[in-house]
Amino acid sequence: MEEEIYRQSKSKIEDYETIVGRSYIEELKILGDRLSGKIIQNINSTYVGGGVAEILSHLVPLFNQLGVDARWNVIQGSDKFFEVTKKFHNALHGKDEKISPEEFSLFLEINQRNLNELNFFGDILFVHDPQPVALIAKKDEIGRKWVWRCHIDVSNPNQEVWDFLRGFIHDYDAVAFSSPSFSRQIPVSQFLISPSIDPLSDKNKEIPPEAIDSVLAKYGLGQDKPMIVQVSRFDYLKDPIGVINAFERVKRNIDCQLVLAGGTASDDPESEKVLNEVMERAAGNPDIHILLIPPGSDIEINALQRAATIIMQKSLKEGFGLTVSEALWKRKPVIAGAVGGIPLQIQHRFTGLLCYSIEGAVYALRQLLTNPEYAGWLGENGRQHVKQNFLITRQLRDYLLMFLSLYYPGDVVQL
Amino acid sequence: MGQWIQWLTGNWLQVAIPVIAFLASYVVGLWLRRVAYDAFNRWIARAKWEGSRLVVETTRRPFLHWFLLLGGYIAIYVSVLPPEWKTAGGKIVATLFILSLTWVVVRLSEKLLELSLPKLKAPPTPTTLVVNIVRVSVIVVGVLIVLDIWGAPTTPIILVLAAGLFIAGLALRDTILNLFSGAQVVWGEQIKVGDFIRLGSGETGHVTGITWRNTQIRTLEGSSVLIPNSMLARTTLTNYGHPVKEATFPLHFSTRLHLKELTGLKASNLRELVDTLKQVPDSVVYYHTHHFLEEHHYLTPEPANDFALWVSDALGNEVLGERLASIDTFDFSTMGALKERLVDVIEDYLARSPAGGTAPEGREFHFIRSRSIILPTPYVARDLREFVEVMKKITIDSIYFHVFDARLRLQKATNDFSIWIEDGLGEQELANEISRFDPYLYTLESLRAKIIQLVEKHI
Repeated sequence: MEEEIYRQSKSKIEDYETIVGRSYIEELKILGDRLSGKIIQNINSTYVGGGVAEILSHLVPLFNQLGVDARWNVIQGSDKFFEVTKKFHNALHGKDEKISPEEFSLFLEINQRNLNELNFFGDILFVHDPQPVALIAKKDEIGRKWVWRCHIDVSNPNQEVWDFLRGFIHDYDAVAFSSPSFSRQIPVSQFLISPSIDPLSDKNKEIPPEAIDSVLAKYGLGQDKPMIVQVSRFDYLKDPIGVINAFERVKRNIDCQLVLAGGTASDDPESEKVLNEVMERAAGNPDIHILLIPPGSDIEINALQRAATIIMQKSLKEGFGLTVSEALWKRKPVIAGAVGGIPLQIQHRFTGLLCYSIEGAVYALRQLLTNPEYAGWLGENGRQHVKQNFLITRQLRDYLLMFLSLYYPGDVVQL
Repeated sequence: MGQWIQWLTGNWLQVAIPVIAFLASYVVGLWLRRVAYDAFNRWIARAKWEGSRLVVETTRRPFLHWFLLLGGYIAIYVSVLPPEWKTAGGKIVATLFILSLTWVVVRLSEKLLELSLPKLKAPPTPTTLVVNIVRVSVIVVGVLIVLDIWGAPTTPIILVLAAGLFIAGLALRDTILNLFSGAQVVWGEQIKVGDFIRLGSGETGHVTGITWRNTQIRTLEGSSVLIPNSMLARTTLTNYGHPVKEATFPLHFSTRLHLKELTGLKASNLRELVDTLKQVPDSVVYYHTHHFLEEHHYLTPEPANDFALWVSDALGNEVLGERLASIDTFDFSTMGALKERLVDVIEDYLARSPAGGTAPEGREFHFIRSRSIILPTPYVARDLREFVEVMKKITIDSIYFHVFDARLRLQKATNDFSIWIEDGLGEQELANEISRFDPYLYTLESLRAKIIQLVEKHI
């Protein structure tokens, strides 16, 4: 039953032909053909909830449509195990977490149990994130190709946790990271495979102007003045107060409005606090709109992004920051903090503007508000940049190439 | 017996008249056949129509039979037979005539169709189909006339036949539509074998065969596609006409796909950049000076290379950025030579300005290595027209492979397209025009457009 859930296709691979071209899809099929006969077994910790499950629910059916036998299994773990892996996650993000020897032992124990119970049928074992990383111990027994996909920001990890995981990572045949800054000098092939957006999803598909108007009306937003929009959950690391400060300084000379749209995370008690601070800071300014968007409101986010004159993502720290690609895909000029994966998406002055401070954000906002032609040029370049580098079809291609590279080593391989 | 002789003696005239009428009809028939066929043969000699021999062969003998039947009919009517006998006899004679005529028409139409349809390039299946349709139609008409002669009600039969025809028409509507469209294609000569066509639905290729039902094309992917003629009639069709000069060998298009391998090496300042650059393999230099072009292929002006961009943007060093950007990648046919040049420029700068700046946190230069997989695509060009159509379809990765990669692979200032155009087609001037482009000055899309424009102009 669970297998059926992930095999249901949300989009057909041919649906992407109108976006990337028929030849691109043909190349994907050729790559898929070269992998025929091989089973790609994805292993992670959950079928539903969380970014990895969402990505796999898109990618696995598409792999199968390309003729690649991709399957998906999850490991079983106790609540305590997932509390420990949550701590791992935070520690890898650089948060100061104390992990006891018992917790490390529990992690190993649950992995060992899954190692005994799970059926390892894949020719390529594609293990996602730290939770199942220790399954690599099975490699001594069964061999085959093992790849670890790290979806999280490990640019500044807690050293103790990283050292613990490194022992397992070194046994893999390859590792895939989302950003160059996550890579380390390790004796394993490391591939850069950026995450991607799905241009056919509710968050990114084309929507009619009436749908945009309806969302604006719902939130009481007018289009009488330029609209600066930041879409992100209320978190200090997204610097919403910094965005308000920058907006107020720009507003002295240029009439415009600011929309901060996002949600609060149930597993992050700090987000309520941030939201309250933002509300307090914005109080009394009718041109600042704070919108609390419920989870799953993809069409509304799509509409707000499309209604924006400028989109900001002034993050102080970021995993990859795919909201930047979402904005660029909609041909919007973007101003964003130069952190995490954002510099990959924004080539400064070509596909958007990077900033390092509130002053930098103010300067960029003024430039774009007073030069709509330049803003339009950046937006158009941004669209092309995303089309070339950050669509789901590119991610599919990278994965297929990585799988092939496991069997065909060398800088240049002719198939 | 004696009574019969006695009756004949008394009524010899009543017997003689029908016999004379019958014999007279036979004689007139013989005479008319000679006169008519002589005249017909003279006309044949002038007209030189191949079917005339068939007409003569098929009708010559029945022609006389018809006069015999006519004689019989007259004889019956001038005889002293009772009226009901006369009516029955007349119907029998008329029936024999209709059956004979039907047989002749069937035979003649079969022979004429078998003679003429092959000349219309009709393949065996439709010929048989058409012959059978005509045969059945004639027989049905003949039978209906006979039934009418005998006073049988024909209206219900006609209605049943019409309903049957309607149902058959519905069931065979695609076949019939294809046949009609085929007739239009064949007789209208809209397309001919050898023509290069493109349909509104996207199929493109050379016509390799036309039948009554389908048109066969060889696509740019080299596969053979059968297109129903009804589809040709419905869609927009662009016919580029006869093939242009065919190459002595086809151009098979390939593509080169890149995987980015992280080295884990990074630089925060110029010294680290140049020291690391000296150590890394050529595939790293290739990535930062070539694959980079694919990532930003849509930009005009395009940033020159990753090193120049990072020095300008992350270090804020516009002077060195400009010097690195001005290194003309087109001048280097090996990555080793290009790397040496990059190192020289940075070291020269550091010798005069040792500081050089430091990148902010998060903007370090990460050294990435290119891992490439070269794959054949299904596209093949055998002449310049096919080349243009393929150029419109292939990905920019494929263009990149045949233009940029070729320079490094061949280690000379040319590309795969120019080599094929010169060696396969002998079009040296066109080949030279294409190889003279500095591809590094164009976006990949504008390079595609430029090459297509040049070749189309040449065609």
